[in-house]
Amino acid sequence: MALIELVDVGVTYRRRGGGETVALARTSLTIAPGEFICIVGPSGCGKTTLLHALDGLQTPTSGRILIDGREITGPGRDRAMVFQSASLMPWRTVVRNVTYGLELHGVPLRDAIPRAQAMIDLVGLTGFEDRHPGELSGGMQQRVNLARALVIDPEVILLDEPFAALDAQTRELMQTELLRVWDETKKTAVFITHQISEAVYLADRVVVMSARPGHVKAIVPVPIPRPRPASARRDPQMFAVEAEVGALIDGAHAEVVAV
Amino acid sequence: MTQLTQTSTGLVTDDIALPRRRTVQRTGALSTRNLTQLVSIFGGLALWELVARFLIHNTAFLAPPSLVAIRFWQMLLDGSLVYNGWVSFEELIGGFVFGVAAGIVIGAAMVQWKPVNDALEVWISALYAAPIVALAPILIIWFGFGPWSKVAVVFIMVVFPMIINTQAGLEGVDRRLLLVARSFCGSRWKTFYTVALPSAAPFIVSGMRQSVGRGLVGVVVGELFGAKAGLGNIITTASSVFDMPTLFVAVVTLALAGVILTGILRSFELRLAAWRDVA
Repeated sequence: MALIELVDVGVTYRRRGGGETVALARTSLTIAPGEFICIVGPSGCGKTTLLHALDGLQTPTSGRILIDGREITGPGRDRAMVFQSASLMPWRTVVRNVTYGLELHGVPLRDAIPRAQAMIDLVGLTGFEDRHPGELSGGMQQRVNLARALVIDPEVILLDEPFAALDAQTRELMQTELLRVWDETKKTAVFITHQISEAVYLADRVVVMSARPGHVKAIVPVPIPRPRPASARRDPQMFAVEAEVGALIDGAHAEVVAV
Repeated sequence: MTQLTQTSTGLVTDDIALPRRRTVQRTGALSTRNLTQLVSIFGGLALWELVARFLIHNTAFLAPPSLVAIRFWQMLLDGSLVYNGWVSFEELIGGFVFGVAAGIVIGAAMVQWKPVNDALEVWISALYAAPIVALAPILIIWFGFGPWSKVAVVFIMVVFPMIINTQAGLEGVDRRLLLVARSFCGSRWKTFYTVALPSAAPFIVSGMRQSVGRGLVGVVVGELFGAKAGLGNIITTASSVFDMPTLFVAVVTLALAGVILTGILRSFELRLAAWRDVA
């Protein structure tokens, strides 16, 4: 049973002064409920376009995207996005940043705040509720970003390279934390990254994309059992899958160069 | 590039266009800077006193500060300073409140609706640059010698900088925050209210601080051209009989009002912008 179905999805941007850019062409993909999908690919392969289309921020110019059999026409409460830059409101405290989505959904603050508190505890920010984003490290800001998405209790969580700007150690820590939170919340996750090891460590399946126009080149399953503790990174099977994905991406790069 | 957005939290737009940041320089009770300022103030007053007493010898030409101080005290006791000051203050506040409210609404409308912007832009930049206080005599003719003509003069002085600051603030909104609001199904109004307006708030208060000085000029000029009461009226009547001490009392009161009102708005501005300084 598929939760998300992309059927021949294409996105074409009209360039200023005539001409068109095909960001995404004939992309089809099926995602099962509770699955963790990572999308990797070279820059310009339409990863972010695909994620924005899933969130409803970008309307496909062709094809359809279905969630639970319903076609996506715009942003919805069944999906939440974890943005690449933390994109927190600098004038709001941590707890009020986390309640932000709920407030827009019309949830009264007296209900929103306890729910936000539970998420803040889950992402490990207990005690920082009344801080402002400027007082937090990059990793902590991304935890708030994650909590803000999870608190609306979406079916699908979309993550757009959320750890790209973090240093290597914080990044690995955040990956392990993300898996722990994901295990507890059982959301369907679509995670975009350009780092192969990150994709393989997190995903049930890695979708490799290729550029110009962006399309799905291959889908690589990751047969490593869960839960995956930090030590799973050194599993030989992990290296094998990473090598496979790496080879596919090199191929994708070669295509770009050839074009 | 992503590193930049990470380290500096949220707004990394054009910092140069933003209101001046707080300089963290709150040292002890009496720093060298404060001391120099005090010496400068008292030195200046002493020089003024000496020049007026020993060089000019004519209080109809230049009154020494000691006479101004005495006259100030007298006018405070006989109630004329309080009465006229209050009249001017009411005119200022009236015009200021209307001007700020209208400026915010017009500025926001211009950012939200392109046709409004296209229609008004040319008028506003022309009127903002023009010495608009020159319209004061016309407004006196239209609205009479009472307080409403002065309210109108203050209004036209205040409304244009408020429009321009509101616009600048709303246009500087971080697009990524707007995307967050859209992703969470934020309606147009809620997005404006929760993202655009808070982002613009420091600009709006900064505009208010700039406007209050212009508003004071508006009150005085309005009253000079025709009024029954007010500090500008004191200046006109005092100068017609060469009563320099009284004239200076009005000027000093206006200067004090300017300093105090700007200071209040400045501290408000700093508090509002505090989240910017934490990073």
